[in-house]
Amino acid sequence: MAPLLQIRNLDVVFDTDRGPVRALRDVSFDVPRGKIVGVVGESGSGKSTVIWSVARLLSGNGRIVDGTILFDGRDLCDLAEPALRDFRGRQASIVFQDPMTSQIPVKSYRQQILDILYRNREQSRSQKIGHALAMMRRVGIPDPEQRIDQFPHQFSGGMRQRMGIAMALLMKPQLLMADEPTTALDVTMEAQIIHLLRSLQAEMRITIILVSHNLGLVAELCDEVVVMYAGEVVERGPIGAVYARPAHPYTQALIKSDPARLTERGRYLPTIPGDLPDLRLTHAGCIFAGRCPKAFDRCHHEKPAAHALADGHDARCHLLDPEQAAARALPASVTAPSPQHGAMPDNSGTQVSEPDALIRVRDLRVSFPGRGGLASLLPGGQPATIDVLVDVNLDLRPGETLGLVGESGSGKTTLGRCILGLVPASSGSITFRGRELTRLSEREFRPLRENMAMMFQDPVGSLSPRQSVRALMVEPLDVHRPKGFDRDAAALKLADMVNLPRELLSRYPHQLSGGQARRVGVARALALEPDLIIADEPTAGLDVSIQGEVLNLMRDLQIAHNLTYLIISHNLPVVRHISGRLAIIYLGRIVEQGDCETIFRRPAHPYTEALVNGIPQPDPEHRRTLISIEGEVPSVAVRPRGCEFHARCRYAQPRCREEPPAETILSDGRTICCHFPLTD
Amino acid sequence: MSAARSENPAGAALAADTFRAEGWYKLRRLLGSWQGLTGMVLVTLFLVSAIFAPLLAPYDPNTLDIPARLSGPTWQHIAGTDQLGRDTFSRVLYGGRVALYVATIGITVSMIFGLLFGMLAGYGPPWLDNILLLLFDVIRSFPTIIIGLAAVALLGPSLNLILAIVIVTTIPAYARLVRTSTMALRNTEFVIAERSLGVTLGGILWRHILPNVIGPMFILAAMDVPVVVTVEAGLSFLGLGVLPPTASWGSILNEGYLLIRQTPWPIVAGGIPLVLTTLGFTFLGEALRDIFDPRLGKGR
Repeated sequence: MAPLLQIRNLDVVFDTDRGPVRALRDVSFDVPRGKIVGVVGESGSGKSTVIWSVARLLSGNGRIVDGTILFDGRDLCDLAEPALRDFRGRQASIVFQDPMTSQIPVKSYRQQILDILYRNREQSRSQKIGHALAMMRRVGIPDPEQRIDQFPHQFSGGMRQRMGIAMALLMKPQLLMADEPTTALDVTMEAQIIHLLRSLQAEMRITIILVSHNLGLVAELCDEVVVMYAGEVVERGPIGAVYARPAHPYTQALIKSDPARLTERGRYLPTIPGDLPDLRLTHAGCIFAGRCPKAFDRCHHEKPAAHALADGHDARCHLLDPEQAAARALPASVTAPSPQHGAMPDNSGTQVSEPDALIRVRDLRVSFPGRGGLASLLPGGQPATIDVLVDVNLDLRPGETLGLVGESGSGKTTLGRCILGLVPASSGSITFRGRELTRLSEREFRPLRENMAMMFQDPVGSLSPRQSVRALMVEPLDVHRPKGFDRDAAALKLADMVNLPRELLSRYPHQLSGGQARRVGVARALALEPDLIIADEPTAGLDVSIQGEVLNLMRDLQIAHNLTYLIISHNLPVVRHISGRLAIIYLGRIVEQGDCETIFRRPAHPYTEALVNGIPQPDPEHRRTLISIEGEVPSVAVRPRGCEFHARCRYAQPRCREEPPAETILSDGRTICCHFPLTD
Repeated sequence: MSAARSENPAGAALAADTFRAEGWYKLRRLLGSWQGLTGMVLVTLFLVSAIFAPLLAPYDPNTLDIPARLSGPTWQHIAGTDQLGRDTFSRVLYGGRVALYVATIGITVSMIFGLLFGMLAGYGPPWLDNILLLLFDVIRSFPTIIIGLAAVALLGPSLNLILAIVIVTTIPAYARLVRTSTMALRNTEFVIAERSLGVTLGGILWRHILPNVIGPMFILAAMDVPVVVTVEAGLSFLGLGVLPPTASWGSILNEGYLLIRQTPWPIVAGGIPLVLTTLGFTFLGEALRDIFDPRLGKGR
């Protein structure tokens, strides 16, 4: 049977003010019927451009210069607009990354569904709605009869994405294209969506193209994989073969640098040094040659052809050329861990007596005003205040790395900001080296800020946009030690410390890549040589290869400066890689706290277990079969009674619904909030 | 556009060069669009004619040439003369000085106060925000010309009074704009990042908020110049602005209005610069906004 979709020699160019950008070059791959094909690549690889080309929905300045896109034997490039519209609705549909921006905010789902089903003229309105309700039930939306009249903002992120999938499937298309469908979701929700997509695919015999940067997600879901780099397909084939025996150096590096693959802590992460090539220029050789550790002469002059491998997949690399292979032995691994770097300092085992803790948080509670006033007195109204953090106890010992893990809305960022006095505490205490912080005025707090710094989530967005990199990097010195330093020398020293190329000093934040901006953020945090660094999602928004660089850098600096880190993240593999201890936070309460490895190996709290099981592994041989956790995070405004996790807990007992569990200490030193811990 | 591209030859240094050339690139884009070019030409014409009026004007604006009074365009008086035989062209050039004076000082002072009040309202505590907003709305609820009439009736006509009225009535518009942008910025990550470093309130406002809100201000200011010029001309037309014999476009129009049955030329000569100035600054403002505000660009 012919493949459903055949892309051949696709060339796409975007005309920009600064010259044409050749976003896709000679892209060819097949999408077999009834299979899930994953398109993997880092940002700028052109993976999304592929599906926009297939849908013929490229932005105004983009055009298909060359190539064919055969769908069921028809070339989509030749279709006129009415035929295209028909194709998009009936035969192919798209699930978007961010359902909040891809669903119409002012229309109820009922209306949006009727808008999609306008083609089915033979169906009556009630038939259409009945069909839609069945589909909503199928994707796991409870009470579809009520919820169909709601609007997108009344749905949670996960439900919205389910709705997006339901709407994409309404017309029973042959092809579903999903553009990063789980990137905006939490780990537990991601696992549910993966499961849903897989079961829908099996049931409806639908063909799916999944675009993602997440190797684990692709491994969990896909039958075949297409690896893209800078607008070219570098490797493709059956998922098992590509993951088990990656042939292209880029694929090898990509798989190696995924932190989810590494379970041992503190190892130096492999990275892919260098930047994406400028796609405005023409490149004679292999597109990856500039960053390839194995590049040789020929790579810079001649484009490699696709070489088929024995296990049914092919890659574009000169190393696979039989003649070449005879001349050079094929090396097996990419970047070996640098031997000069030692292991992460690890003093998680040593017990530190109380006064030695750098930061001590006791019974911390942070509340934000809710609706307030009269509304809160009405029955069923929201309480006057919303507790974002409740009874948080946390110790941070000098020199250690504590990972704070939770889903969005769990209050983890608030906790970080509260320690720095950016969010006022409602009650409880935070001490820094024994000094109480919660009731300090900003004027009293300022001198302490020299010793604690924060790295913010958005690498570019946390840099003041109209300041040069140089000014941004020396700003901490300006603030705290305005006299007696040489600005230029200080800026150069900091740039060297974080391996930022010196010529970037005169640039502005928007001219930096994510990784470079992150380095500036690290430099700013380190400028005053603080004792404590609170890092809020230090790897968010960074590509896998850059993630490794940032984590390695943070590790080296920790060794050099004896830093204490509080790492706030939802990304468990990353946290596992760098943390000595772990604190799991759920709905503003720390439910489990203790040694990182112990927690990963034997989670004691059911929620922790669900999180750990929720990590998609970049290994197609070990797919998870069960969904680890049901439901979604309740709103902090209406906290569940009893144990806050009971509604989603697999092990919940009647007692959990009635009585909130107290903090108890397990025999291995872990603190846990659960009536029935899974260990001990 | 083609010139812009030939400046950037394909090469490794391309990126660095492009960043340095950013300013030139934007200027080239500005002059590349017909709106921007027309705006720039008209604005330059206005500025040059006003600044160099003493050099350009063939006569003193108040010199009487009684024999040639009420003449149409002749080689002696290219825009004709008024009923006292004063050269209209010279008076138009000198009138531009009044317009420029009011526009420059009026807009600059309003911008400074607008920024100050706007940032205070946007970044400060809610009670201050509410007080300032109430104040802005009270001022904005009066039509400018009516305030002008009332003020002139009380204090007598003068150029500085016009200036004061222009400033007072323009501040709220700027302050509102700045307040909104400041409020959008105050919870962004970079402002929180600055706070976490211990940067003082003044430092945050001056070094981090101001540079980000001032851009849209300049565009608004460019588009506001004609408004200010028209207010001055309008009040002078009503006889509430500059005192005779000082020439202003408004007073030229007023004199022409009285003579409309004898000669149309003063009206034409006083009206054209007003129209051109308005067009020039509006075009310039629009073109600037197209270049500097990417949200309005033509995307997907």
